[in-house]
Amino acid sequence: MEALKVWSLTASPLRQLLRLSSSSTAIYGRRSHHSSLMLRCASAASSSSSSNAATAETPKPSGRNRRAASSSNSTSDREAIRSIRLKKVEELRGQGVEPYAYKWEKSHSANQLQEIYKHLANGEELNDESDRVSIAGRVVARRAFGKLAFLTLRDESGTIQLYCEKERLSDDQFEQLKAFIDIGDILGASGSMKRTEKGELSICVSSFSILTKSLLPLPDKYHGLTDIDKRYRQRYVDMIANPEVADVFRKRAKIVSEIRKTVESSGYLEVETPVLQGAAGGAEARPFVTYHNSLGRDLYLRIATELHLKRMLVGGFEKVYEIGRIFRNEGLSTRHNPEFTTIEMYEAFSDYQSMMDMAELIVTGCAMAVNGKLTLDYQGTEICLERPWRRETMHNLVKEATGIDFSELGEDLGKAKDTVLVALQDVLEHKDKSGIGACSSLGHLLNEVFEVVVEPKLVQPTFVLDYPIEISPLAKPHRGNAGLTERFELFICGREMANAFSELTDPVDQRRRLEEQVRQHNAKRAAAAAETPEGKAKKDDDDDDESYEVTLDEDFLTALEYGMPPASGMGLGIDRLVMLLTNSASIRDVIAFPVLKPSPHIYASGSLKLEDTPPPPPPQVSSVVDDGDDDDQYVDAQVEEVVDHVDGLLNEVREEEGKEEDCALEEGQSNGEILKSSLKKETLDSEDGERREKKKKVQWVDLMGKELAEIREFESRLVY
Amino acid sequence: MEGSADQTTQAMSKLSMDPAPSSTAETGDGARSKNALKKELKMKQREEERKRKEEEKAKQAPKASSQKSVASSADDEDMDPTVYNSIQYYDLMQCSYKCCFCDLWQQYFENRLKYLAAEKAKGENPYPHKFAVSMSIPEYIEKYGGLNNGDHVEDAEVSLAGMIMSKRASSSKLFFYDLHGEDFKVQVMADASKSGLDEAEFSKLHANAKRGDIVGVTGFPGKTKRGELSIFPRSFILLSHCLHMMPRKADSVGAKKPENWVPGEPRNPEAYVLKDQESRYRQRYLDLMLNVEVRQIFKTRANIISYVRRFLDNQRFLEVETPMMNMIAGGAAARPFVTHHNDLDMKLYMRIAPELFLKQLIVGGLERVYEIGKQFRNEGIDLTHNPEFTTCEFYMAFADYNDLMKMTEDMLSGMVKELTGGYKIKYHANGYDKEPIEIDFTPPFRRIEMIGELEKVANLSIPKDLASEEANKYLIDACARFDVKCPPPQTTARLLDKLVGEFLEVTCVNPTFIINHPEIMSPLAKWHRSNDVLTERFELFINKHELCNAYTELNDPVVQRQRFADQLKDRQSGDDEAMALDETFCSALEYGLAPTGGWGLGIDRLAMLFTDSQNIKEVILFPAMRPQDDPASVKVEIKLQSTNKVPKEDESLLAGSEQTRLVLHKCSSESGEPTSTFNCSLCHFGTKSIDQFRKHLSTDEEHANEEMRLPASRKRSIKENRRSRVADFDRKGKRTKYASPGGS
Repeated sequence: MEALKVWSLTASPLRQLLRLSSSSTAIYGRRSHHSSLMLRCASAASSSSSSNAATAETPKPSGRNRRAASSSNSTSDREAIRSIRLKKVEELRGQGVEPYAYKWEKSHSANQLQEIYKHLANGEELNDESDRVSIAGRVVARRAFGKLAFLTLRDESGTIQLYCEKERLSDDQFEQLKAFIDIGDILGASGSMKRTEKGELSICVSSFSILTKSLLPLPDKYHGLTDIDKRYRQRYVDMIANPEVADVFRKRAKIVSEIRKTVESSGYLEVETPVLQGAAGGAEARPFVTYHNSLGRDLYLRIATELHLKRMLVGGFEKVYEIGRIFRNEGLSTRHNPEFTTIEMYEAFSDYQSMMDMAELIVTGCAMAVNGKLTLDYQGTEICLERPWRRETMHNLVKEATGIDFSELGEDLGKAKDTVLVALQDVLEHKDKSGIGACSSLGHLLNEVFEVVVEPKLVQPTFVLDYPIEISPLAKPHRGNAGLTERFELFICGREMANAFSELTDPVDQRRRLEEQVRQHNAKRAAAAAETPEGKAKKDDDDDDESYEVTLDEDFLTALEYGMPPASGMGLGIDRLVMLLTNSASIRDVIAFPVLKPSPHIYASGSLKLEDTPPPPPPQVSSVVDDGDDDDQYVDAQVEEVVDHVDGLLNEVREEEGKEEDCALEEGQSNGEILKSSLKKETLDSEDGERREKKKKVQWVDLMGKELAEIREFESRLVY
Repeated sequence: MEGSADQTTQAMSKLSMDPAPSSTAETGDGARSKNALKKELKMKQREEERKRKEEEKAKQAPKASSQKSVASSADDEDMDPTVYNSIQYYDLMQCSYKCCFCDLWQQYFENRLKYLAAEKAKGENPYPHKFAVSMSIPEYIEKYGGLNNGDHVEDAEVSLAGMIMSKRASSSKLFFYDLHGEDFKVQVMADASKSGLDEAEFSKLHANAKRGDIVGVTGFPGKTKRGELSIFPRSFILLSHCLHMMPRKADSVGAKKPENWVPGEPRNPEAYVLKDQESRYRQRYLDLMLNVEVRQIFKTRANIISYVRRFLDNQRFLEVETPMMNMIAGGAAARPFVTHHNDLDMKLYMRIAPELFLKQLIVGGLERVYEIGKQFRNEGIDLTHNPEFTTCEFYMAFADYNDLMKMTEDMLSGMVKELTGGYKIKYHANGYDKEPIEIDFTPPFRRIEMIGELEKVANLSIPKDLASEEANKYLIDACARFDVKCPPPQTTARLLDKLVGEFLEVTCVNPTFIINHPEIMSPLAKWHRSNDVLTERFELFINKHELCNAYTELNDPVVQRQRFADQLKDRQSGDDEAMALDETFCSALEYGLAPTGGWGLGIDRLAMLFTDSQNIKEVILFPAMRPQDDPASVKVEIKLQSTNKVPKEDESLLAGSEQTRLVLHKCSSESGEPTSTFNCSLCHFGTKSIDQFRKHLSTDEEHANEEMRLPASRKRSIKENRRSRVADFDRKGKRTKYASPGGS
């Protein structure tokens, strides 16, 4: 509703620009097209309603026009809506009503009501005192007539309709409802149950109270949040717009709780080991470094919980586990977030065979808890978790896939490489070939071939057993095969889900292997350092990977010297398990607040978006595109103007841009896109840097929370 | 102990040559040899042995066989166990003095290494892959504890595994062990006649079983005539080896749980086998091995967390995980850790509270959420502060702080009831040498109004408008009058906080809610519904320490922005712990946050109460410790790279008070600059000019604050660590043959 009034009030440069251009072209249909290009927001409704400036500016209370207007969006719209609603807040306070309430006692959730009263016949109403209910939730739809108003309220469990009759409400409450309640407000209401003639279960409201007045309009359900980046940056908006998003987090909680239940019923004890450590060990990864002021020393964020949990075994605990956050200073991708959650568990007197059973138990238990069945669909692939899962050695898997039997290759690394390159000539890409060339041992070579050729094929759950010793510094040597370790990794859908070994308990061997690891790392580092002068440009990408320091965890080695019982241990990535069980394509879908690149507003430009409009594409838009001859030219012109506008904005105090973002999520791809953009990166960088510095001084920091996508009212989507 | 220097040199030579397998039986350690007689006896034995060996050595010198060295010198374990109480265990490992103990120590270690090497050379795997345990030791006691004295169940076969904590040889054919597992112990009576080995093999096997080793035993159960539940092994396998000498554990007879500490009861760490705190915290595994109660502490901690989780799950709360790294550290007032993400090339802060994220989830429509997780604060380490600590925070839509107070009472009293059986716990609030106090968790808890009570107790009348200059002045005066120290910046909030600490918190021994804090102290709490200078907030104090903090959440976005702006002013006036503005959070509020109650609990502090711990390090498995090889602030070190000697003028700094010395420790060795710089380790102040540095130490305000925060324990440790400092210095000169254990 406000959007209507706003339309005529807006005065931002962008808006003016739009208006100018639209009046000059003077084609109604194009206008809506044009705004859709600019803002990637044209909904089906807006284009089909033949909206134009004239109709939109005439505040006729017609649903269609409202839709058209509400589909518009920009910073200034939002600002205007906010100021209108702020005025309402004031007015309410003037009337002695606090628009931010303290508390609400609710008797039922929406879903409960739907369940309890599902047998209510159409038109039936219950006036019994015992059927008085109270409920609270967010208004997601609103329709008001003379003496009657319908609101749809949504709480965590679902939605329910509020049936508000003027006579039933006390005093001026009905007027208040009409004047002050907007979509997005949080409302508490009480009344009796009724099913309308049309069959909608409703609460016949006898009193209500505004619990929280919202200041910003909710996003449009279908189009508002198709912008991936914004979904992650402002998860709450995502959750309001798409309630099913929260289901993933509910399932996640269930999975974690199921894991806990499984391991605790086997007698494991939950412990907490430090995140901040003097030396980051237990895995090979670049750690985060931080500094403790009063200790005056650098600390590393843990990259694994392994070494501390093993100390617990030394201390006499026989079964321990920790579910906790791990940090790795690596790039972002659909499978990697710098912080992620794992469970690591250790059991004394057992070996990796029993850990395989445990892995099966945990994963199937979680699948049953979440989905109720052992078959699942992951991104179009059917996975069957029925036990037992395939258990096969790495050697056999490689042999099966490539025909190369590594156990017959002998000791000569060079020859082995040749064999591999010849055998896999057709399969390997250039990158893989150089990877194989860089392998420093047969073990690494085997692993490389495995990763390139076999891994993607392991779709159904498979335990890959007996890894080469060179790549498993913490695993016990295999009792039967020299050169191998008692280690397995669990693969599902071509992804590593778990990693486990019979733990190495020999302190002498352990020291040698860790020292070897450090030596190798330092060699790589030195090599990288030597290279840098020549290819300085490369420095940031590849060579930098090795530029961190790896130190021995002497404390851990000492602990082993005190004697650790034979044990097996397993690490299982919880985020990946949740992805699998909730059919989520990206790790960002299962982490409530994933780490994202600092929002690159300035990189965003309309032209990029045109090629990459997220689904579902509004069909009408494309038809509009087709009908105008000068469209392309027009678009180009617009894009340029947008760029100008953005540049203009940079000079202002940084304001919210109701602008589409190129989210730049996946490194490779989006980097490319950004470079293709006509905007010069360097200048932007320097500007950005300057601003950041300014901000630092004022401490008014925000890089994250910019308004990144268009926001529209819910009205347009209402269906009664 | 006096003669031991001599002995050591002798022992060393013995090592390098060829020690013969000794047949000296181990002295039974049933009686802890604290008496002088026994010591003397041992001395004599050693002396005799030494002579004997010298003779042998003379004979055998030419044919040094590695085989034989395997059976290491037998009297390793004869070392007087009291040694561990006279020196710090940890120091022993670190020691680089040529002291008698550490040499014995290393000797033992080397012998064990040689033994392992020999085993491997023979093709044996000294570290087996698996041992199938048929039942745990507690289960074993449960099942066979009822046997009659002297009964044997020869047809049963049981496999047990655990750690040897005591070994007694009655002859070369009969050995007794105490096998410990999961806080219980059972005796192993290894008889050559039942082992299926010939006598030589048997005695060799058992000669190599040392205290601290982990063994797997398969045999049949039975009770000795004296009523000791035992297992009579048919096979006895060494699974893992303890390469270091273990402090001896106090013997308690009987196959029972050795000590019976339960949560809520007082503890007595003075009676521990391993007392030294440094060793206990740095090498927690030793602590766990030797001090039985410690394992109970961590089980109690796990129980507390699991109780909280169950309590909230039952009320339909959803457990969530929010980021630990963020671009802004918000939600509390504290100094954050900073780190850097290389790939994104951006600065990240470790979270100091999950508050803002959890509220965003409430905005998103989850009505009840909680998170139990680590928070990180870049603060000094003391008895109640560790840089990382665990909290539980929950947020509940449509509830207010009155509801939360009720929930807090229910949760805590219910927890005390479940863990201890009653509502009262014993706690050594005044040190272990004083009588423990009793803390009563019977609900309801006492509630006191902050301002009202403060005015009453201290007889003040604080100006109503707390934001005014007048109020600030009044409080500065009040603090001066009562001699309450408040280091600058003297903001009204900080002054009030100090006064409350002085007058109110000290009265809160039994659980007490201090409620209705003024708005200036609570930027995230909602103004009170009947008094808008106050907020709807409470803090729960137990034993004078804050345990919970909760409020009706501020959900008016306009007011929230205003409060952040006010905090910003405080920040600019020097309070770097004032909160930063989080724009994402503010705009989340604009979408509408339902009326919500938010609540936070410090898990570590709660665990301290239940386990009678005065030090937070007691309840954290691996607490943050000063690095040993750099006793940073205790070391006064002015180093010059170029000249390698301290100029006179610099030396004058060393003459300062102890506190001044604390902070003066480091010259920039990494920068490669040839001149000396002075770095204040507390506030990162660095300068090349000694005058400026002196000025910094004496007049800088920030520095004064930091120094004030230095915990007492740290200052005390200067004296304690003096010795290790020297040792540290020593070590740099003398590198041992193999890497010294323990140093990092």
